[in-house]
Amino acid sequence: MKLSETQLVWVIVTTEIIAMIGLTISPAIQIAKQDAWLSMLAGGVMGIALTFLAVKLSILHPNQSLVQYSQKLLGKWLGRLIVLPYLLAWYVLPAILLRSFADFLHLILLNRTPLWLIVLLFLGVSTYLTYSSGMTGIGRYCELVGPIIVLTLIVSFLLILRNIEYHHILPFYFDSGEVNILKGSFAPAFWFAGPFVLLVIISFIQNPRRVLAKSMLGVGITVFMVASATLMVLLVFGPNIAANLRFSYFMSVRTIDILNFIQNVDVFIMFIWVFGVIAQSSLYIFIASYETANCLNVKNWRKIVWYLLPAIFIMAILIPDETAITLFDKFWTTAIYPVCGILIPLFLLILTLIKKKVSAQSF
Amino acid sequence: MRHTAKICFLSLLPLFITTGCWNLKEPDQLAFVAGNGLDLTKNGKLEASTLLVIPAGIGGGQINGGEKKESYQVMNATGKNVSDALDNIQSKLSRVVFAGHRDIFLVGQSLAEHGMGNTIDTFMRSSQSDMRAMIYLVKNGQPKDVFSSAPFFEPFITTTLSEEQEAIGLKPYLAREFVADVWSDATQPLLPVVSLNPSTHYSYNGSAILNKDDGVKLVGFLDKEETSYARWLTNRLISFTLTAFVSKGNGNISLSLDNLGRRIKVLQVGETIQIDVHLTGGGTIIENSTKLDSSKRKDLLLIQKEISLQTEKSTQKLVKKVQEAYKMDIFGFGESVHQQYPLQWKTLKHNWTKTFPTVAVSVSVDIRINDSGLTHSSLNKP
Repeated sequence: MKLSETQLVWVIVTTEIIAMIGLTISPAIQIAKQDAWLSMLAGGVMGIALTFLAVKLSILHPNQSLVQYSQKLLGKWLGRLIVLPYLLAWYVLPAILLRSFADFLHLILLNRTPLWLIVLLFLGVSTYLTYSSGMTGIGRYCELVGPIIVLTLIVSFLLILRNIEYHHILPFYFDSGEVNILKGSFAPAFWFAGPFVLLVIISFIQNPRRVLAKSMLGVGITVFMVASATLMVLLVFGPNIAANLRFSYFMSVRTIDILNFIQNVDVFIMFIWVFGVIAQSSLYIFIASYETANCLNVKNWRKIVWYLLPAIFIMAILIPDETAITLFDKFWTTAIYPVCGILIPLFLLILTLIKKKVSAQSF
Repeated sequence: MRHTAKICFLSLLPLFITTGCWNLKEPDQLAFVAGNGLDLTKNGKLEASTLLVIPAGIGGGQINGGEKKESYQVMNATGKNVSDALDNIQSKLSRVVFAGHRDIFLVGQSLAEHGMGNTIDTFMRSSQSDMRAMIYLVKNGQPKDVFSSAPFFEPFITTTLSEEQEAIGLKPYLAREFVADVWSDATQPLLPVVSLNPSTHYSYNGSAILNKDDGVKLVGFLDKEETSYARWLTNRLISFTLTAFVSKGNGNISLSLDNLGRRIKVLQVGETIQIDVHLTGGGTIIENSTKLDSSKRKDLLLIQKEISLQTEKSTQKLVKKVQEAYKMDIFGFGESVHQQYPLQWKTLKHNWTKTFPTVAVSVSVDIRINDSGLTHSSLNKP
């Protein structure tokens, strides 16, 4: 399986932008009020730093995925132990993602269709993409829909411009202060860096020379789009109402009404949402099965997909309600991400550098 | 292995085409809502009214001999809360109510007097609610009466109402902006008002002041002219016809104003706050019954000065009236203080309702005559 550098950019953009605009805007506004867009920018800077960490680590082990180099660095058993939290996160994440999107679809569009069926359909499409061609297929898919997503969002920004009121985001900074702006930026920062997928997918790039610049570009595009979307939501609704809206960007698109003629643009947003969610769940399913196969020394990672699917489906159905998803988000930002996204990669990076030094000295 | 996978995916395929079926609703199974009204009945029950579209009545083209059908139907029902009342309306209908195209919310005066705070949740929570609906308060009447009044341009009164504000030069006030005002720190909502004439046609009739801190209760009304000034002060006025008496020419001059602007400067002198408002506008003379000749520079400047002064006085009077009689910050002055003194605002905001009536407000107006119309001096024959 191969992944080109351009595809890497679009994989980052496609799998992050939709989830972030859908899930992180309102929580950020709840904390940082009208300065939430500054939170997004601050979170973007942190996210780029975290991406740098992950990419640096991966480049030092060219064409090797997380499970492979962690075993090389730490030995067979410790190396496997340390990737367990990653595998768990990658199993649960698609379930959470599919469930929250199915909830959204169920509420807005298909309120009589059973929830499990919506989940099943998305799971079916994602599995098809993953199973048929793995990372190559996901890369090509993202290269195709990524530009469509970005373009649609930009057009929607332009259409919303008619409804904005500048006073909603004034005054800058003073109301929330740097403490709240930073507090609001943690959750976005972790999303900008992605759920540790870079630790794996960079191994598919043949020649990882310009990977660092390309991943920065991907995260940069995402930061720009998400911060603009946050700004739009704030400018249309003001911080008090926006904090209370569950799907705030979607709602701000619903306000579009130009000459009584251009209305209901939310239809297009629904399309790109589907694109993004499918890219995300396929990527997570692929990485989860690929790394599990590496871990268990199974030659054909496609076999793992069949065990993973029912697990994801059952998890997605068993989630009781929205509050459980919120709880998972909290758990993600307070426990999973700091451990898997910062501590372990940092540890592995230091270990790699020490080993290099030692081997250089011994020569 | 690959074979079983293919069979699995193929068996999923029919689902892609059929999932919509649960939600399949043909347009002839739906009752489209054009407007919703809320009010209290005489014995204090919440009453919802709905303006429903009757598609058969709108259909253009030939009329086949039979009598023309009405294009709308108004339905009312009472209930424990808004949804309960709407559900009671549904029980009188054979089609499923669909509110996705709702244009108008009407609030009856008696509900507003009682406080409409606990009806607002329904404006945004429903997945059908679109964010483009407008809101009006019905003075001396009930929403259902306004809905029943016969429109003459459009098939339903709601379309008329949604174009009314723009026609008279106001920036349309949407339901979502109303909710934003209710949830804001300082600004009190100013709802546009319609009332019914004796001839049972509606007319736009200024606006209503509500108190967001007291259950969103009705506090008082502003007439049409006052509303224009209030909207000018809040930067929500697009165009405006101003008529003022020019004493030196002994007659009235009417201006059609646009390019309306507003600048608010907040000054802090010691502990007290002072607000300077500067209003600007440019206009065309549309009527001149004075002796002054607008083609002469001296006269033109005189007219400008007099009209600006008159407007200044009227606006000052309005601000004073609102401060003294209603005590509600409908002008968003608190928001300006918030923007210009964000640190001081943190302590000021708790007491703003009490501070607002005592704040010193000075208004200056600068109106420019850009065009004096097609004639020079007045054509009126003395």
